[in-house]
Amino acid sequence: MDKHNPVGEALPTAAARTDAPLMSRNEVSALCSKAGRGAGMSWGLAEEAGYAAAWLYARGLDGPGNLASHLTFATGMTWQDICPQVRIGQWSAGTSIPLCPIALGATLSDYADLPEAQLTEGSLETGPVSHPLLVLPFLAAAAKTLGKNLSVICLGQKTGVTTNGDVLGDVTALSAGRVSELKIQIETLEADSFRERSVVPVDLETIEKLNNFALKTTVPPSERSRAGAGSLESDND
Amino acid sequence: MRMQERDRTPMQNGSWRSPADVMRLARMGSAHPTRLSFLRVLLRRLQNEGWKFTRPVWDLNDKGVGRAVYCAIGPERTYSLVAFAHDLPEDMRSDRVIATAWDATFALFDGVPEEEDLDRLERNVPLQEAGRVSVRELSLSRANRSVRLFNHVVDRLSRGSQPDIAEIEAVGYLMRTTAVYGAGKFGAADHDVIRDRPEFKAPFQVEMLSVWLTRQFCADVVEHLAEIKGGDKAVRLSPEVKARLGVGNSTGLGMAPFIIRHPVLLNNWITAREEALARVRSLEAANPEAVSDLRKAYENAKVNLAQWHSEHPIQIAKLDDLRRDFNMLEGKLQTFPATAGPSPWNDLWLWGQQSLSVEGQEALLSLMLEPHGELIDGLSDCMSADEATSFRIDGAMTNQQVRSLLDEHYTWALATDFSQPENTARFWYVSEEKLEPRLGERNLDDGAEREQPLCIGRLASELHAHLSKAPDNQSIAEFLLRHPEHRFIVRRVQLADRYPFAEVQDNLISNDMLPIDLMRCKLAFFGATHFDPRSDKWVRICLFQGAPYPLEHTDGTENGHG
Repeated sequence: MDKHNPVGEALPTAAARTDAPLMSRNEVSALCSKAGRGAGMSWGLAEEAGYAAAWLYARGLDGPGNLASHLTFATGMTWQDICPQVRIGQWSAGTSIPLCPIALGATLSDYADLPEAQLTEGSLETGPVSHPLLVLPFLAAAAKTLGKNLSVICLGQKTGVTTNGDVLGDVTALSAGRVSELKIQIETLEADSFRERSVVPVDLETIEKLNNFALKTTVPPSERSRAGAGSLESDND
Repeated sequence: MRMQERDRTPMQNGSWRSPADVMRLARMGSAHPTRLSFLRVLLRRLQNEGWKFTRPVWDLNDKGVGRAVYCAIGPERTYSLVAFAHDLPEDMRSDRVIATAWDATFALFDGVPEEEDLDRLERNVPLQEAGRVSVRELSLSRANRSVRLFNHVVDRLSRGSQPDIAEIEAVGYLMRTTAVYGAGKFGAADHDVIRDRPEFKAPFQVEMLSVWLTRQFCADVVEHLAEIKGGDKAVRLSPEVKARLGVGNSTGLGMAPFIIRHPVLLNNWITAREEALARVRSLEAANPEAVSDLRKAYENAKVNLAQWHSEHPIQIAKLDDLRRDFNMLEGKLQTFPATAGPSPWNDLWLWGQQSLSVEGQEALLSLMLEPHGELIDGLSDCMSADEATSFRIDGAMTNQQVRSLLDEHYTWALATDFSQPENTARFWYVSEEKLEPRLGERNLDDGAEREQPLCIGRLASELHAHLSKAPDNQSIAEFLLRHPEHRFIVRRVQLADRYPFAEVQDNLISNDMLPIDLMRCKLAFFGATHFDPRSDKWVRICLFQGAPYPLEHTDGTENGHG
């Protein structure tokens, strides 16, 4: 029996096929959640990983690729290694390891209207973050909660999110996949900096990486397991 | 659930049933289809809006292999069921998700497919999970024949006679679907794509449309094969026989996790039904027309019950209960409304609660809703859910507030002692094999370390224990930063105030839990009849039995065959 492959067992390897299939947002979300869990995230955080990757994917940004790359980078690290230490207006990791963008983002969404985030008072500065593009969907959630548009500065470049989930400004720096500190504040970027992006297929290497993580959430088959899941009678009746 | 204002009417009797009663597995596992069931919602819309149906492609060979297209033409858009009929060797026929070939495979296409669409689909749809569909497709599904009935019907029709009614009633369908995938599966369009179309406002309308068109296909295939076999002697199905044929569905555990994973959606289904019941109970009179409609509904239900067979001991006992209940109900309805009391429907309901089994009470609920379309049909607009709006955790809530939610809404979970082995006897997992959801025995099966988070009761109980040791005034955001393992359950618990029917209030990993109870609840909302368990994890049901066919005028003639 084939090992699981959420985009279909018929999908050949990257070598055999260059045109990656267009996945639905639902598929991206499900695959990325499973991959997050398979990589060791708690179930609740893995849901956030699925949300973030699919949010970006739907906006033509490479959420799945960034997540696959981050999960590979973070393999073997514990929550304590990569979660933020929350101090008012200043969040960074307790170690020299870059922050997990999903842990940072989810925590930011949780704290959006609390003083520790300092979003309504001033700005929030973070320590170095791995794959910071993945933080953007959580800024959108925070923006919605606050009812205020937000901006984030990454490597000197400013990107905005609106309360209704539009991405403004340039995302090149965020998308570069480099470790970077971030500065987040309430700010509305010029609306004409909005650019409609069409969905970009997830590349096959990314799918394979995510699949390999996702596989760790499934249980290898056994005769006993297979026999117990069906009807007790024949289907040829 | 936030009911729209126009759907609210003042409640005399004040209330929905308690979630502590409604959300128990024993009651969910006795659910009956109602006029709010999704296939009923679909059929009402298609009729009210005057949808038209055609069969522009019918290209099956003498073995019944080939393709067909059925179009459903609505006021704004057309949808097409693209069907592929196969010649399946008997040894490959399996209803399990791990099957790799089927008697027939289908996709619901958004629009009218061109030849190149059909060719593309022919390369992919027969492979099901191993193929890819596109954003032009809304669903992907497959069906297997009921071999015995299918062959019997073809044989009889080919010889110029109608099938044996007893045979028809024993099975109820020519083919049974074994999976109907929608909402973005295998590359199909995401639900977001169709969310704003009125015809898909209620849940599972794509799937129901696909299955209803599939029913036409099944009837057409047997007539085609009968004609090949019998030539001039062959006859078509009589309208009486045809009406008795539904579409079967064969389903396993995969359906059960769905309603756990979609708590807001489940809440909205149940709330609509409970609101409907409350509205009917609050009526001050039973007018003659409604009384007559109630009796008609009862007569139909009685016919349905007579044809409802099962060999599973649990279902046999429930059917015995239901038959006994129907005897009592028949007497009751002969004198309904007995007195000119102020709340005849509520009196009937309270009598039912006193006199009937749980199975009978849920059947009575369905009957009581039947005469009151004008009062309750609009509730079907409230049965979908935008889950994105309830995803964010409110980190500003304090530990104490979350604990209060648990104390108030998770009493059922907190009362369970999860240190007792029988209360954690099983675990839900996903097999590597085509991602089939399965249920393992914790002390016998491998894989418990990869358990799925469907043990909501235990998760709630663990959260409660942990919160009791944390500072009351600490924000849940800070708690989660220290204890990320509780993030999944905190998200759910925060729904409890707004969505009272979101949780199944039973232990889903206990030794005596019956997965078929979860499946029955979901299938009743689809509109399924003839619930027939084949094990405690596997069930067959029937859809659309007695409903009209797409290619059929109300006078019984047919049109549109191309």
